[in-house]
Amino acid sequence: MTAAPAARARRAEALAACLPPLLVAAERVAATVAQGVHGRRKVGQGESFWQFRPFQHGDSVARIDWRQSAKSARIFVRESEWEAAQTVLLWRDASPSMAWRPEPGQESKQARAELLLLALAALVLRGGERVRLLGAAPHPASGRVALEALAETLAAAPPTAALPEPAGLPRHARLVAFGDFLAPPEETAAAIAALAAAPVAGQIVMVLDPAERAFPYQGRLRFAGPEGEGETLIARAEAVRGAYAERLAAQIGAVEQAARAVGWGFALHDRGQPPEAALLALYMGLDRGLYRGRVAGPARR
Amino acid sequence: MSFATPWLLALLALLPLLWWLLRATPPAPKRAIFPPLRLLLGLHAPEETPARTPLWLLALRMLAAALLILGLAGPVLHPPRRLAGSGPVLLVIDNGWASAADWGALVAAARRLLARAALDHRPAALLATARGPDDGAPAATPPMRAALLGPRLAALHPQPWPPDRVASARALRPLRGRFGAVVYLADGLAGPGTARFARALAAAGPVREIRAPAPPVLLLPPRHTGDGLRLRLATLPAAFPRRLFVLAESGHGRALARRALTIAPGAAGATARLALPLALANRLDRLVLAGPPTAAGVVLLDRRFRRRLVGLASPDPARAMIPLAGDLYFLDRALAPTASLLRGSVAALLARHPAVLILADDPVPAGPGRTALAAWVRNGGLLLRFAGPLLAAHPDPLLPVALLPGERRLGGVLSWRTPRRLAPFPPASPFAGLHPSARVRVSRELLADPARLPAGAVWARLADGTPLITQARFGRGRIVLFHVSANAAWSDLPLSGLFPAMLQRLVALASGGAAMAGNAVLAPAETMDGFAVLGTPPPAARGLTAAALARARISPRHPPGLYGPAGARLELSLGAGVTAPVAAPPVPGARLLALGRPAPERALGPALVAAALALFLLDLIASLGLRGLLRPAAAALLLTFAAPAARAAAGVPKAALVDRLAYVVTGDPRVDALSRAGLAGLARFVDARTSALLAGPAAVVPGKSDLSLYPLLYWPITPAAPAPSPAAVAALNGFMGHGGILVIDTEGGDVTGAGSGAGFAPGVAAALQRATRGLDIPPLAPLTQAHVLAHSFYLLRAFPGRFAGARVWVAASGQRANDNVSPVILGANDWVAAWARRPGGGYAYATIPGGTWQRTLAFRFGVNLVMYALTGTYKADQIHVPAILRRLGR
Repeated sequence: MTAAPAARARRAEALAACLPPLLVAAERVAATVAQGVHGRRKVGQGESFWQFRPFQHGDSVARIDWRQSAKSARIFVRESEWEAAQTVLLWRDASPSMAWRPEPGQESKQARAELLLLALAALVLRGGERVRLLGAAPHPASGRVALEALAETLAAAPPTAALPEPAGLPRHARLVAFGDFLAPPEETAAAIAALAAAPVAGQIVMVLDPAERAFPYQGRLRFAGPEGEGETLIARAEAVRGAYAERLAAQIGAVEQAARAVGWGFALHDRGQPPEAALLALYMGLDRGLYRGRVAGPARR
Repeated sequence: MSFATPWLLALLALLPLLWWLLRATPPAPKRAIFPPLRLLLGLHAPEETPARTPLWLLALRMLAAALLILGLAGPVLHPPRRLAGSGPVLLVIDNGWASAADWGALVAAARRLLARAALDHRPAALLATARGPDDGAPAATPPMRAALLGPRLAALHPQPWPPDRVASARALRPLRGRFGAVVYLADGLAGPGTARFARALAAAGPVREIRAPAPPVLLLPPRHTGDGLRLRLATLPAAFPRRLFVLAESGHGRALARRALTIAPGAAGATARLALPLALANRLDRLVLAGPPTAAGVVLLDRRFRRRLVGLASPDPARAMIPLAGDLYFLDRALAPTASLLRGSVAALLARHPAVLILADDPVPAGPGRTALAAWVRNGGLLLRFAGPLLAAHPDPLLPVALLPGERRLGGVLSWRTPRRLAPFPPASPFAGLHPSARVRVSRELLADPARLPAGAVWARLADGTPLITQARFGRGRIVLFHVSANAAWSDLPLSGLFPAMLQRLVALASGGAAMAGNAVLAPAETMDGFAVLGTPPPAARGLTAAALARARISPRHPPGLYGPAGARLELSLGAGVTAPVAAPPVPGARLLALGRPAPERALGPALVAAALALFLLDLIASLGLRGLLRPAAAALLLTFAAPAARAAAGVPKAALVDRLAYVVTGDPRVDALSRAGLAGLARFVDARTSALLAGPAAVVPGKSDLSLYPLLYWPITPAAPAPSPAAVAALNGFMGHGGILVIDTEGGDVTGAGSGAGFAPGVAAALQRATRGLDIPPLAPLTQAHVLAHSFYLLRAFPGRFAGARVWVAASGQRANDNVSPVILGANDWVAAWARRPGGGYAYATIPGGTWQRTLAFRFGVNLVMYALTGTYKADQIHVPAILRRLGR
């Protein structure tokens, strides 16, 4: 059973290999003790030089910068910037509707969502950040091993609710949520609002199947929901295609609206499209903040 | 055509209703799982066309329903004839010996009747009229479901004794008037109690009597005639002539002779003569009536009919056997080919129970010896005596006629009468038909007293009317006296060819001898069943004395067969122990039918129901398809159930499954056909002689075929052989390099070659060089006796094929590669030509210089070749096995 998650992790890594490591834009890095790449602009643990200050009584002799001290009569102590890592919370919808596939042998939405999730995680981990699967893993993880552990967790994780829940969220984390978000829009909006109030910044990736978008059905059909929502008999499926398309567009619009309302990013991904495009869009969405951070922060060596 | 449950056909009227129902009920819609179902709820198609079942599906279902109804109604093709009346049916079967010939038809008729009774739901009862092997009286089964009687009917066998009608009538008495129909499968023979039985049958219910068209035939034990056996058949008179064959079989079941017997219309039997040369007659074991095997058609011939035990009595055997002079010398020579001879004193011989006892010039003195001899003769022995000086001096009472004292001399110094010739044999004598040779002269004889000569006592006379051979019955036996001596002293008779013929006829006269005497009870050893199969005697069988055996009536207590201890078995045949067949009158008031073989009934119901089920299955698949639930795997599974098709194991080359020899195709059809035939012949030989199993040979083209599948490749080189292509060279090198053995045969040699094939293939040396250029042929050495190939199966000194003498070349020893197995064997002896057989049989080519031994050696070399190819140098390693075992033992 370990082979399949490992293979998925490898595939996600291959997918992520075409992009540079991702340093997640962190406007306000969470209060974490973990060392990372996000300078806190104050003295602390880290590798980047921050300032020299005069030796004070009680400082360790080992911390004296002898070269700097030799330049003058005073003794200086070298201080580095407090650097911390950003944790990226990842979540994917593992409800039965995500596991649905129109034809046997095709990739399910959930598989695509997990692939994107793992690829993103690979990027984030390569950037030195930390990832955590919301709802499953209580502690963030980093490093190469974390990716495979994440893949294992995904494979073993039980079905989840259709929407992320705000329980156990660290403040000021970044959340990337994958799902089909086919629940009623008001529920989706409420869930997003609850998360945003944590406060958590986030990104919504709505993964849809081509069959769900194009509605290619014909003839007399009895439709049933995968989660026991009931059944409906459509006499001629092709006749309701237009009406369905309108409703679907309204649903997508409502979800996007709910995300934008709290300042979250939103992306729509069609399972029929290659995953690279979606990954690139995600990368851009997450990286933009970091870029901004770089401009605002002190020049790095 | 009839139906078991016709009322079910009324359901066919419901089919239009079914049609309407199916038409009105639309098929179930396809089902689809769709996650955004919420978005679909409340959506409605603007127009809804009425959904109807497609017409073809409707037709399919209607057909299936109609087939089901028809099938359940139980149609029967060729149904059995209806039985009269109503109520239970009584089936009475004569299962005595006379029913065995038509037993199959009889049982088939009974089965049809039971099937008819089952169709009509009438209970049936069964009564078999013959006693069982345990001597149980016939008893009727209680009426039961007709189907339940099937096993009982199957367990019924014809018995090798007549039906017991008295007991059957007794069994029928309580069943008076209880049956709606009585069917009597009769053998048509009358016996004790027939009339009473017929009355009881008629009282049980209306009778239908069924008889076989041909009356039973009984083969009676043959009678001895002077020169053979008279075969006798007994049967009932019929209106048509019958031609039957009797086979005389040996103990191994080989037919020694066949006689046709024609029974004329109206005749109750027929006879035929069976005269076999004595050598054959002595091997006669049984007479069999050709046709279905029945106890009535087989007569086992015991020792009474075969080689007789003849005792040659002599007080001084050495003197009696002096060549040309001894008393018994000529008798021994005359009887040895046709009889089993015993020699010894009279007392010793009598203990062996001979059929014939011969005393040559040997008076029997008074005393217990004479008493025993007389008793033996009275019990059926044949005493054959010859005159002589001693008998002339001391006549005893065991003589057929009174003798005048002294002897008569004809010719000689003191007589003017010349020796006399033989007169023609009287027609009543057993020698009738033999021609008295003119050369036989009698010079001395004992004279019978003409005053006391009973009528019929003389079997042969001299030309002047004096008796030469006289006889008299003595109790059940007989005493025969030759009035001349048994050697050539008194007459030329022992020297003539007439003598053995006369003796053989006399010996044939003897009845069995041996066990005819005595009051010992002979236990049944092997008895026949109704189909004449010898087996263990039935539980009721009892032993009986020899005298009783001759009068025994056939019954479960005395079934036909062999009685007595091994070596002295006596036969009780059915023909001897039953009364001659007498036609039984039909049962009064019965309908008389002939036993026929109508077309077999066939129930169509199961087939129709199966077809309906198949259609329903098809309908299921079609419906699933319409609903979109049909997965290819599910359909395949359904189809697997519907029509299991054997899948051939495709893709595996045939040669990979079994060892095959292969030959290189040369392109010359003659050579290729020869290679094929030769390797096929070798494969046959190898299969017969060794544990290796070879399939037919394969034709290969190096470079195109996969050579790796073959252990051995035969490559005939003809003078016209071209140089092989580079691909072929590479393939052959690969073949040899990976353990294959290439046998190159130039099929004869060049003019300069050695061996008997030299000059048969001029120019082949150049062709060989051309063909093998580029092959990785190791250094070669002549094949010697020391090589493994010379002892891989047979020990060989020479390796001939069609030709002999040419040297065979193998790789020089010391090749480390390939475990020292020579990859190439080069010869010119044209081995395939020696192995090849013609399609019709025989060999395709003569061996040169010739002889069966050369062919045998060629095959042996082929076996060694195959073994060498299959086992490599295994045999060379075998040499060390004793040494290894010795070391292990120590």
